[in-house]
Amino acid sequence: MKVQNLIRASLVCLAVSLIGAPVIAHHSTAMFEWGKEKSVSGTVDKWEWTQPHTFVWINVPGRGGKVEQWGFEGMSPSWLGRRGWSLKTLAKGDKVKVDYYALRDGRNGGFFVRVILPDGRAIEALPQRSQ
Amino acid sequence: MKRLCISVALAAAAMTLGASSGCGRTSPDSSGRNGTASGAPAAQENAYAALAKLPDWSGVWEPARLARPNAEEGPPAPPKLTPEYAAQYAAYQEKNRTTPGINFVSNVANCIPSGLPGSMLQPYPIEFLFTPGRVTINIETYSLVRRIYTDGSPLPEEPDPSYQGTSIGRWEGDTLVVETLGILPETSPLAGINGHSDQLRITERIRLVEPDLLEIATTREDPAVFLEPYTTIARYQRHRDWKIMEYVCAQNNRDSVDEHGNPGFDLERTPGE
Repeated sequence: MKVQNLIRASLVCLAVSLIGAPVIAHHSTAMFEWGKEKSVSGTVDKWEWTQPHTFVWINVPGRGGKVEQWGFEGMSPSWLGRRGWSLKTLAKGDKVKVDYYALRDGRNGGFFVRVILPDGRAIEALPQRSQ
Repeated sequence: MKRLCISVALAAAAMTLGASSGCGRTSPDSSGRNGTASGAPAAQENAYAALAKLPDWSGVWEPARLARPNAEEGPPAPPKLTPEYAAQYAAYQEKNRTTPGINFVSNVANCIPSGLPGSMLQPYPIEFLFTPGRVTINIETYSLVRRIYTDGSPLPEEPDPSYQGTSIGRWEGDTLVVETLGILPETSPLAGINGHSDQLRITERIRLVEPDLLEIATTREDPAVFLEPYTTIARYQRHRDWKIMEYVCAQNNRDSVDEHGNPGFDLERTPGE
């Protein structure tokens, strides 16, 4: 309950545009099309609540019924954990939509900006500027 | 709005680290008459009691560029560099212009921790612990520890090189002045510059500028790199209810960087694992 309140309050606070400059801890963001959002929907295969980054792996129906695996890096538990996210935010089998910055090399993945949960709630995953 | 956001961040539990109040030792007689012949307990008690006179830096400090990005100032003036490092810095700027995104030239994406001062400028928080004769800084990113000796001992002339160097500190009023030598020459003294000489000297002036806003002015001196001392200012927002988390970079690192500063990203995984 408290987590949900925090998430809701965070969304009110942080409703708007993303910070231009990347703030992730320990590596370049040049491999992503940073700032250009795309979306993909699928079923969570694994949610990794790990340092130095979280990862969400989803299965996405591809052409001809073949399931493709997509992988998205996210901010660390150090950042997400203080803003309403937790080990239990996502679980295997959850049907989600992932908004992300794509990999420039065209592989199925990128950096996740927010995740839209099965109940329709959108959880932000990057620092944002209030306006 | 900013205040609302900060109060949201503070909303969880009330936990206060008592740098000035939690360290007191109790003994039956503060005069030390019940102590040993050497008077050690009284000396220790006095040393801990003296900590109460230090400024209150308890809690956990988040870089203000994340805590309240709207309040941040523009980038500092560019550094004045020796030709070798000026060329390296220009190449870095050019790479950021042609490949949007931040291009790091240092080895941190391979889980090699940042050296000082980069270690103090990571996006995750830090905390300060006061004990007699020492200030300890715990840095969440890479789980680094800095030991700053404030007991009056001098800097060693040739300290063994290390990522965080060897530090001494002194109090000038409510400002802690920290001097550091012996930083490993393969570390990055400034974003866009990789490497420096064994003469790199870092001076940090740390003080509260508002009740919950800490400022660190960091001056870099190294005749091999900087034509004149180069100072940047970083600010940190206090969160009294936060706790420092464990950060083990090797736990699940899928990022990398090659010797040219180009990033790699490992997406190999067996579905269902």
